[in-house]
Parts: sequence; C-alpha cells; structure tokens
Amino acid sequence: MQTDQLISLMVASQRPVDTARLSRATWLAALCALAVTAGLVLITLGPRHDLGRAWLSMPVLAKMLLGAGVAAIALPLFQRSLRPGQEPARQLPWVLAPILLVVGWAALTLAQTPAEQWTTLIFGHYWRACLVAVPLYAMVPFLVLLVLARRGAAVDGPLTGACAGLASAGLAIVAYSLHCPDDTAPFLATWYMIGIALVTSAGALVFPRFLRW
Amino acid sequence: MQLRPLFLAALAGDGAAYRRFLDIIGERLRGHLRHMLARAGRREPSEVEDVLQEVLLALHLSRHTYDPASPVTAWAHAIARYKLVDHLRRSGRHVGHLPLDEEAFGLADRPVAAAAEARLDLDRAMASLPERTRGLIDRVRLQGASIAEAAVAAGMSENAAKVAIHRGLQTMAKFLSRSGSKPG
Repeated sequence: MQTDQLISLMVASQRPVDTARLSRATWLAALCALAVTAGLVLITLGPRHDLGRAWLSMPVLAKMLLGAGVAAIALPLFQRSLRPGQEPARQLPWVLAPILLVVGWAALTLAQTPAEQWTTLIFGHYWRACLVAVPLYAMVPFLVLLVLARRGAAVDGPLTGACAGLASAGLAIVAYSLHCPDDTAPFLATWYMIGIALVTSAGALVFPRFLRW
Repeated sequence: MQLRPLFLAALAGDGAAYRRFLDIIGERLRGHLRHMLARAGRREPSEVEDVLQEVLLALHLSRHTYDPASPVTAWAHAIARYKLVDHLRRSGRHVGHLPLDEEAFGLADRPVAAAAEARLDLDRAMASLPERTRGLIDRVRLQGASIAEAAVAAGMSENAAKVAIHRGLQTMAKFLSRSGSKPG
C-alpha cells in the first residue's frame, strides 16, 4: 500500500475527536475507584470504632490529606504521561511535598518524645495490617488506571506506571483511613510511605508490559 | 506552514484540513525518519516508507491524546520516536543510543519528496482483515471512492463503513506492532 492511499483511508474514516476525554476519564475513574475501595474497606474491615468522633480529628484528616494530596498530584501527571510530547517527569518531584510534610511532622513528634517511646509511636498497634492493606486496596485503582492507560499512548511506560502507582496508593490511603486505628505521625511516615513505595514500584514494573502500542 | 490550526480543524472533523495536515507532516516525517534510519545504518527507502506508514497510523489512532494547548510537532515527534525505536527493536538491531535529538527534527523541515514504495508490511497487515473490510478499503484507496460511494457499493450505511475502516486500521496497527522478530 502506498502512503498516499493510507492517508486517503485515514481521511475517509475520520471523525471529530474529543481530546479532553482522556482527562475526564482519569478523574472519573479515580473517583469511582475511590468509592469502590472505600466501600471495600468498610465491608471487609469495618470503620474504626470511633469514626463518628474521629473523622474530623487531626490524625484522620492528615491521613486523608496525605492520600488525597499524593493522588491529586499524581493523577494529572498520569494523564499527561498518556499524551506523547508532554514531559510530566519534570513535575514528578511535587509528589514529595505531601510526603515530606508528613515525614517532617513525624520527625518533630519524635524529637519531642523520649526515645523509649519511639517504638510504640512508630509501630503502633497494627503496622502489619497497614503494610498489607495499603497495597492490597490499591489494587482497585491500580487495575482501573491500567485499563485506562491502555487507551492512551504512553511513550514512557515506567513513568506512567509510577504515576498510576502513586495515585493508587494515595486513593487506597484515603479509603484505609476510614479503618486504620493508628494515629501517630511516625506510624504514618513509616508504614504508609512503605505502602506508597511498594505500589509505585509495582506500577513502574508492571505497567510497561501492558502498554505497548 | 502552521500545522496546529490545520490539525485543530481536523480534530473538529474537517476532512480537507486533515488531508493537508497528513500530507505536510508525512513529508516532514519522511525526511526525519530517513535521517534517523540512516544514522542507525539503514538506507533502504522502502524501510523508511514502512516506518512512516506505521507512524502515520499511530498518529491517526492517537489523535485523542493530543493536548490542544501544546505544539503539534512535539506530539507527532514523540510518537515518531516511539515507533522508530520500536521498529528498530523489533527488527532485531541493537538500538543503542540512537541520537533522537530535537534539532534533527528541525532539520526535517525541508520536506523530502519522493514516494518510495513501501515494502509489504502494510499489505501483509491488510491480509489479516475480514474480506468485507478489505473490499471497502480497496474501493477507497485504489479507486478513490468516497466513503459514501464505498458504503453503497458494499451495501452498508456510511457510518458502518467508517467504523469498519476505522477498525481495520486499528487491526493493521496492532498487526504491525506485533510483527517482526521478538524484542530483545
């Protein structure tokens, strides 16, 4: 086939194209995934027993803001990574802002406490649960974003995967904060961050395999 | 020639603008790809044409990923680079550090004419299509029929004909990105 003929075919079957669909779909997918994940947390683990009182407390808000902040920064980058010619990698370090805030807060807390209490502050009651729960619940947004990513044209698979992983972990943290009874900043700064790192690496490793086009 | 207004009109459904856009970007990309393939030690014009066709197909099928606020050449260039690297990897040559720099693309502003024959990649891809779609495609590309004429001849609605050709192009693109030797 000659190139001219190919062009004729493309012109003949052409239709108006909506370039905003990809970003709308990303936000919609994230919201749906968040709703499903939160529902799953409430069904499988149940809300923390004092959720009615605690949801406006500093620790629960901090968890939600951490998760929402990471997701809100990662999602636009994810969406842009599906558009060739955009270079969202440069803005990726912004994700560190909410993370560093929490780490700084944790360091302050530790500095004001005697060292013998550090273990309690860091490990809390349920660090193992948190370590498993964040990556596990992140599977929901992770899979949704993977399906969405295949509709785009990712030229940098690991970057798309890392952004999707960050966003998934963020959304999972928002959902898990409805249950998680551990409220100390050092706990957040340790186990939630490990969760974020795990899901982000998983994204960077897994996504490229599914994104060839 | 300003490509962005043409492409924006094309995205809104203007067929004439889309053809002009594809003609212009096609010429520029041909020069660019020839240059890049030569750097990778490949000088067959037919190979240039194959990669060009694959890139044009990719542009067509990824129109929804263009951000209207950004330069259309950056978008097209990134797609061309992705497809070129993919092509070199698939055809089993070491990619190494292929210098795919921005200036090289600027150089290609001088359009390179000459429509060399492509090798058979796209024809092979077409062979994998259902017969009805192939007939439709042949009517448009060989006899220069409009989509409406081709649809009547195939006994389907214009809309159905468009969808069939679109699906055909998608299938061909998938076929191209899978064919060739395994990555490695």
